[in-house]
Amino acid sequence: MASRIVTLLVNGTPQEVIVRPGTTLVSVLRDQLELTGTKRGCADGSCGACSVVVDGKAVRSCLIPAETVDEAEVTTVEGITPVGGLGPLQEALVEGFATQCGFCNSGMLMVATALIAENPDPSDADIMRAISGNVCRCTGYHPIIRAIRDAAAKMRGAQQIAAE
Amino acid sequence: MLDRVDVPSDLNAALETLAGCRAGAILSGGTLLMPEINTRATGLTTLVSLKKLDLAGISVSGTRVTIGATTTLDAFGRDERLALLKPVVESIASPPVRNMASVAGNLFAAQPYGDLAVALLALDAEVEIAGPKGKRQAPVSEIVKKGVAADEIVTALTFDLPDGGSWFYAKTMRRNTNSAAIVCVAARVQVEGGVVKSASIALGGAGPRPLRVPSVEAALVGKPLDAESVTAAAAKFEADCEPFTDAYASAWYRTRVIPVHIRRALVGA
Ligand SMILES: Cc1cc2nc3c(=O)[nH]c(=O)nc-3n(C[C@H](O)[C@H](O)[C@H](O)COP(=O)(O)OP(=O)(O)OC[C@H]3O[C@@H](n4cnc5c(N)ncnc54)[C@H](O)[C@@H]3O)c2cc1C
Repeated sequence: MASRIVTLLVNGTPQEVIVRPGTTLVSVLRDQLELTGTKRGCADGSCGACSVVVDGKAVRSCLIPAETVDEAEVTTVEGITPVGGLGPLQEALVEGFATQCGFCNSGMLMVATALIAENPDPSDADIMRAISGNVCRCTGYHPIIRAIRDAAAKMRGAQQIAAE
Repeated sequence: MLDRVDVPSDLNAALETLAGCRAGAILSGGTLLMPEINTRATGLTTLVSLKKLDLAGISVSGTRVTIGATTTLDAFGRDERLALLKPVVESIASPPVRNMASVAGNLFAAQPYGDLAVALLALDAEVEIAGPKGKRQAPVSEIVKKGVAADEIVTALTFDLPDGGSWFYAKTMRRNTNSAAIVCVAARVQVEGGVVKSASIALGGAGPRPLRVPSVEAALVGKPLDAESVTAAAAKFEADCEPFTDAYASAWYRTRVIPVHIRRALVGA
């Protein structure tokens, strides 16, 4: 069994990890890099709790052997969290009662991050489609949809101010 | 237990590894295989990832479409030239899964998954395969039935793009998004002079694999494409189907609704 070195750019920081064959990206993130914001959920792709952004696309980190994403750029919930505070999406989740137990949050946040990066003004239908693979057993989803919509509006506003 | 995960950049190297290992599997998007590996003892020792083989991409020449095996469902859904088939792709899983899942992987999905395979079956797609003895082609009907040999790799799929008026697709699910099929219907039906000239109708959720319903197809040819003749033709489905029970629907229920969904897919009501 030959372990391998895998290089990743995680939240802007170059990381080098040694992985046993088939170690999944979620294990690398949580167990080796101690980025425990990414949750380990169902292990079969159906809950979305482990969602992260790899090379600009939201994906399931539990279904990715680390060897197959060597040299990729990975963003986790830690990467969208400013030091000592919350990002606009996180703030909107808190303010909109869109977080209760919290387990789904990081996955929801990462699919929302990928959505807004591609479409800064998503409709409710766009948001629903984006989070349709992420399970939340607390909120009933509507507060999450509203929060993502509110955060997107805030982020557009901030961008406009920055541009002016 | 896995002792090797290869990410070769050369097709021959991938084929050699597959042929030479004890219990190997091809890893494409991983959305079917990785859940298996994560949740049970598969006995697999080697994974050969197709990621760096340069098998992704879509080309269209006239109406002939060639799609590389590792093209993701996301890329398929974004290609404006394939807009007619976008509803097929968008009926599958959710965006993060579609960002990973590959076109070829869908051919090997167990029912009631395999919605793209159902569509490809209705389109009489051809499958290009590379193996130790070179390349071969096979109809998609053969691949969904028999699979490929353990040392073969599907490299591409080709099919003729239907024109809008002759293409029908409807997947019935328990939820509007991200659910497996109760019944999935894909069909190409050509009408000439007011009657059906040819029909190829494929179903998901109707048997152990995506299947065609030749009895229904034959009954439709020569008839007008209206509710009456489609209802009469759809009634012949049982000769070709083996509906099954799973968490989404019972065999009894599927048997009741298959003809209804064939009719709704083709004539809307
Ligand atoms: C939450 C969730 C929801 C889903 N919903 C749906 C759904 O609604 N409809 C649906 O159709 N599917 C669904 N799927 C299943 C899956 O995402 C798709 O079927 C997908 O297209 C499989 O492709 P893959 O590349 O991920 O396959 P992989 O997991 O990489 O491979 C699947 C199998 O095919 C073999 N294989 C893959 N590529 C090749 C090749 N080129 N040559 C030879 N063998 C190959 C592999 O060895 C493996 O045995 C869902 C999956 C998840 C996790």
